[in-house]
Amino acid sequence: MTTGNGAASRASEFFLRREVLITVALLLVLTWLLVSRGVSLLLTILIDFAIFTIVTLSLNLEVGFTGIPQFGRVIAVIAGAFAVGAIPGRLLAWFMGLPHGLSYAEDAVNYKVVPQLSEVLAGNAFLAVVFFLFSLVLAALCGAAIGWLASRPAIRLREAYLGISLLAFGDFFMWAGHNWEPLVGGTTAVFVPDPFRIVWGYRFQAVVITMLVVTLLIYLYVERLTRSPFGRALRMLRDSDVAAGVSGKNIVRVRTQSLMIGSALAAVAGGMYVIYTGTCTAIGFTRLTWTFWPWAYMMLGGIGSNAGVVLGVLLLTTMRSIITVYRFKLFGFLTVWGIDPLWLEYALMGLVIVVVVLFMPHGLIPAKVEPILPLGRVKKALERTAQG
Amino acid sequence: MMPPWLASGFIYASALALTAGGITLLYITTRTFNFAHASMATWGFYVAYTGTALYGGSPYRYFPLVFLFGSLLGVICYFGLNRPLLRRQAAEITLMMSTLGYDLILLSGIQMYCDYLTYTHKLFARRVTMSVYDFQLGGTSAASIILPLIAIAFLTALHFFLVKTKFGVAMRATIENPVLAGASGINADAVYLASWVIGGGMASLGGAFMAMAMTGTPVIGMMSIPFMFAGAILGGLYSLYGGILGGFVVGLAEYGGVYYLATRVGPWVLGYRMAIPLLIMALTLLVFPRGLAGVAWRSVPRAVIGRLRGVGT
Repeated sequence: MTTGNGAASRASEFFLRREVLITVALLLVLTWLLVSRGVSLLLTILIDFAIFTIVTLSLNLEVGFTGIPQFGRVIAVIAGAFAVGAIPGRLLAWFMGLPHGLSYAEDAVNYKVVPQLSEVLAGNAFLAVVFFLFSLVLAALCGAAIGWLASRPAIRLREAYLGISLLAFGDFFMWAGHNWEPLVGGTTAVFVPDPFRIVWGYRFQAVVITMLVVTLLIYLYVERLTRSPFGRALRMLRDSDVAAGVSGKNIVRVRTQSLMIGSALAAVAGGMYVIYTGTCTAIGFTRLTWTFWPWAYMMLGGIGSNAGVVLGVLLLTTMRSIITVYRFKLFGFLTVWGIDPLWLEYALMGLVIVVVVLFMPHGLIPAKVEPILPLGRVKKALERTAQG
Repeated sequence: MMPPWLASGFIYASALALTAGGITLLYITTRTFNFAHASMATWGFYVAYTGTALYGGSPYRYFPLVFLFGSLLGVICYFGLNRPLLRRQAAEITLMMSTLGYDLILLSGIQMYCDYLTYTHKLFARRVTMSVYDFQLGGTSAASIILPLIAIAFLTALHFFLVKTKFGVAMRATIENPVLAGASGINADAVYLASWVIGGGMASLGGAFMAMAMTGTPVIGMMSIPFMFAGAILGGLYSLYGGILGGFVVGLAEYGGVYYLATRVGPWVLGYRMAIPLLIMALTLLVFPRGLAGVAWRSVPRAVIGRLRGVGT
């Protein structure tokens, strides 16, 4: 018994050391980037980190904890992004007596109306905060609605069928937004009123800090959620839905709730991304960026491990930024054939997925396997039955 | 004389039949839902394009090469990724994800190759109209006649390979029951390898076909993979012939449906064309959660007759 415990503790120490080592190395790299490249690069990395951490945490909730093959993460992101792109600006324009109907998204109207709205927000701090919070809540509601819709096939379909259906509908939503102009401008981007205009000059910093705070809150929420009885129900469902059904869990409801919560979180990320960029372009929400990249982050970090997801996102966003910034220095030889080394980013993500699948299937920080009841309580219960 | 939409529709439908058939073949033999089909198809198109643009001649000359290149990509995927994972009895999702990684690597290669073609050979490799290399046959483009014929010939050959040759029979046995086939001395490894050779070749050939009906871009496979999947799912994922038929139906329905709606409702429908295959897929899955091949068709007449006679229920 003692030897087993010793081995287990040594193993856990090893993993602890590995994740600590990687984190320290990452922080060193980030410091070096800050020193050599200035603040703006670091801020860009942090924005990517914040947005994709939320998306990947939500993906992890559905894939890692509930066992749903969510290949349509982009659907929920689109729901949040389109909602924030289409609705809050219209409402504000309506209050202001500006064009707010279908014509709001026409580029000739939109580029005149939105700067006026941003001016209004810049003059009124209270309104700006309300606008931002309303956008996030709206995104979450739309995401939850889309999650509920996605849960309808999720109840009936099996692994591959479900994953492919979700993937196909993600593409459909992107094309629908691209073609239907009144929603978010179709082929031309719709502008989004900027609630951060009020801190003009420090906008970038303010955006980064706000997003990191939201990310932290969402991380704490997800961590709490997955440790709660609901989280245990999710894992039970993932491991065996028959056993979960036998022990009285309502499989359909738990799965629906998981999809709704996950989609709401991803939609918040989508909405924040739209506010950060100030525009909403439908064609930018590709399945590559918003479904496959989060999958790669999650697999690298460790499926079913929230801390792992955070580390995975930070590691890969940093690596992607390094490729973008130093591509000519590091891979300049490729330009001899006219090749832009930026394409190596795809290869990097592909290689990460392949290496993780082949050599470290549990990721950087493997999810701990926990029994539903702690061993001590099981023993006590056994002793009690033996006595009684 | 074929109307233009039908001509392009036939090309596109043959392309989807090949790719969806390849996806189905790989799924029933190796349980792998192959995401890399997207980039394998794109590579097929670029092999055909490179040959035609640099060495001349009609694109059809390069189709054997296209097939071989796709097979090569499939073999690399099998030895590098699929075999280790199959030996480890990996879950279906893991197999799927591994091919996604491979797909991204191939996509990176395609983009670099496009840069190379643009820079070194001064070609507009990112927007290619392959149909300009085609010739006229009986008033329509030759591709709309030749490509369906090639597809039919290829699939007939595949059918005879599976039914008449000893290895084909072994392959079908492995598909039907891997354990029993292994027990009777069939080498499962060889069967998996063969399916990657055939499936990869079909993917690339399908990609080369597809570029004859639409503009060829580095993301042509990536954009059309939902339709390949839709075809495979429509066919039920468990029957090779179902997958081929599913791909053909999805492709022709997309072109026909869009043509019909565009003339009746208005040209704005064109932007939503991808809704048609998705609707077909969604409706099929709604009624048959395991696709058309998941229905026990053979027992349907008996069940109906039984119901009529009042037997059973």
